[in-house]
Amino acid sequence: MISTILTLVRKEITGFRKDRTAVMLTFLVPIVLIYIFGNVFGVNRSSSGPSGIPLAIVAPEGSPAINSVVAALAAEEAFSVRRTWTDEAGVQHPFTEERVRADIHDNRLRFALVFPDDALSDTRFGLRVRLLYNPRNDIETQTVMGLLQKNIYTAAPTFLFASLRKSAENAIGVEDTAKFYDNIADAVSTAFKIDREELRSAMKEDANPFAGTGAGGGAEDFMKRIVDIQQEQLTGKEVKNAAATRMVGGWAIMFLLFSVTGSSTSLFDEKKAGIFNRLLSMPVTRAQILWSKFTFNVLMGLAQLLFLFIAGKVLFGIDVTSNLAALVLVCVCAASACTAFGMLLAAVSKSTAAASGLGTFLILTMSAVGGAWFPVSFMPEFLQTVSKLTLVYWAQEGFIAALWAGSGIVEMLPILGVLLGMTAVLNTISLVLFRRGSMFS
Amino acid sequence: MIHIDSVTQRYGATVALDNVSLEIRAGEFFGLLGPNGAGKSTLMSLLSGFRSATDGTIRIGGDAFSPENFAARRRIGLVPQSIALYTDMTADENLSIFGSLAGLSGSALETRTTAVLEAVQLADRRRDPVKNFSGGMQRRLNLAVALLHEPAILLCDEPTVGIDPQSRNAIFDLLEQINRAGTTILYSTHYMEEAERLCSRIGVIDHGRILALGTLEELLQTLPFEEEVQFAAHQAPPALIGTARSMGEVVETNGLCRMRPGAGSRLSDFFRATEELGVPARVFSLKRPGLEEVFLQLTGRTMRDE
Repeated sequence: MISTILTLVRKEITGFRKDRTAVMLTFLVPIVLIYIFGNVFGVNRSSSGPSGIPLAIVAPEGSPAINSVVAALAAEEAFSVRRTWTDEAGVQHPFTEERVRADIHDNRLRFALVFPDDALSDTRFGLRVRLLYNPRNDIETQTVMGLLQKNIYTAAPTFLFASLRKSAENAIGVEDTAKFYDNIADAVSTAFKIDREELRSAMKEDANPFAGTGAGGGAEDFMKRIVDIQQEQLTGKEVKNAAATRMVGGWAIMFLLFSVTGSSTSLFDEKKAGIFNRLLSMPVTRAQILWSKFTFNVLMGLAQLLFLFIAGKVLFGIDVTSNLAALVLVCVCAASACTAFGMLLAAVSKSTAAASGLGTFLILTMSAVGGAWFPVSFMPEFLQTVSKLTLVYWAQEGFIAALWAGSGIVEMLPILGVLLGMTAVLNTISLVLFRRGSMFS
Repeated sequence: MIHIDSVTQRYGATVALDNVSLEIRAGEFFGLLGPNGAGKSTLMSLLSGFRSATDGTIRIGGDAFSPENFAARRRIGLVPQSIALYTDMTADENLSIFGSLAGLSGSALETRTTAVLEAVQLADRRRDPVKNFSGGMQRRLNLAVALLHEPAILLCDEPTVGIDPQSRNAIFDLLEQINRAGTTILYSTHYMEEAERLCSRIGVIDHGRILALGTLEELLQTLPFEEEVQFAAHQAPPALIGTARSMGEVVETNGLCRMRPGAGSRLSDFFRATEELGVPARVFSLKRPGLEEVFLQLTGRTMRDE
């Protein structure tokens, strides 16, 4: 009885070991996804959350207080703080508000912090700053907002103390202000046993006198009332269902990849059935067979994407008609790139099972790395670089540009170019591999 | 009609066809007989344009043949070894697609579709999905597709594998009919009875080489005997084997001994000797040689050894 069961178990193990697809799906796919998720949620990093999100700063030069805020933001791992942009000649220019507005509109930037000339005023107590942003990804935007507030509020005591003293000097004169501060220093020194001279010295400088004393930590709630962060959304304001509009592209491209991959691997079924043998005895070439498969899959992918977007309009109110031509163009390019991926999968695989296993692995990995599930900026910077090599990333960029930003076809040409370039490269590799491989022999 | 000149086909280190030369005449029903792995399907794949030969040339109707020569390929109809059909589609849909690829359209396609469906006795099932057909019906439709564009040359690569006798006979009848109508047929098989029944000329192929070529009669004439005596090895006393060997050649395969009388020996002398040995007559059977014996004579083994 037991030996029979053990023999049958041995049979199962032997069969499993020989099924490379099953082994890969069992072990490799979870490991890769766990690694990616681990990086997103900071398991494997010194800090969790996003990293390297470009943040443009528009600020007047020479203000120590503003510089201290910018320095605090620059020290934040989430941000890649930029105060200048480089023109085609390689010359650097300080960001202006006009420039960052254009960059955000064109998706070269998603966040910019503008310190107006009156950010710190002798006649007004507190800080005024303006955040310009493109909330194309909700999770990323929420996180960035939180981090900006945290950093500005943390740095605020420094410049607010200077602002307060400046206001006092304007009101009652330098001498009386000095006396006032000395008296406060005496009282604080007596009450809290802090060195009097050290406190007085600190209060004379542009610094937070309570830093290091433990007396400044509770200032954040207070700061919220006196730091004025004005937010201005530059893109997507007119979008009807923002959440659905942001999500639909990523999910659509993932499902498209699964369907075209399945269709491309049907090449193996036709080979096995001897269909190619018959077709090639007719006036039909290998290239014609492959192009017919490619054309059909592009059309099928296009139909699937358009169906998904129409369903999105019916179910969630996503506006797919106001920029329809651009959306259809992105769908065509995305369907072409996904089909080329499916063809490559068939070219490098030796059976339907192998292609399906490899396809599942690559599609899930590309979807995760490419930003279909969570913001790319939440991954380490090297993974952010890798994500730009995936067609999921660029297809999503296209859908966001068409649906969220309402970009015109000309503005979208770089994205469409990348997708078509990927199509060309993948198809070329596939054709070479099909020529050398065993699909038609 | 078909000229195959010094054709060699290699797959890496494996030589599938080794310097094969063959001529198949117009209107001929030519059989290519050999065991599995002999090179029949490789030769068929070269003739159907599925691949190009490593060496050598093929000419069809005087024109050099290659996968790029569409004009030559239009003269060919292939009946593949496998059921090369879209089984989710109906018979009509399959014929429509393959007919269009072969260059037919409109009423010509419709006329030919009806004609071939009637020829393979599937006209009443034309709108049924192929996956609902029996194996024999699928084989017949496989043949019908190859006949759609009325090819001058029909390549049949083991077209009757795994089907019932009725369907097999229906296919044979149809092939004989179209051959009589002038179609040249190249028929590969490892069933000797098929080659014996159908083919006007037969090439015996093994290990990528044509070992013999001729009509059935010509091939049988290469044998040094007209009849052979067969008996089960386990029923034969040692003395019988000795007697048999003294009178001719004895070959034992799969427990069956075959004694072929040598020159100058007569079967009557052999039976007289066995009677003296006390071996009952029911142990023996007499068999007129066929292609099986030709193959055995040529290769030293039977086709079933493969």
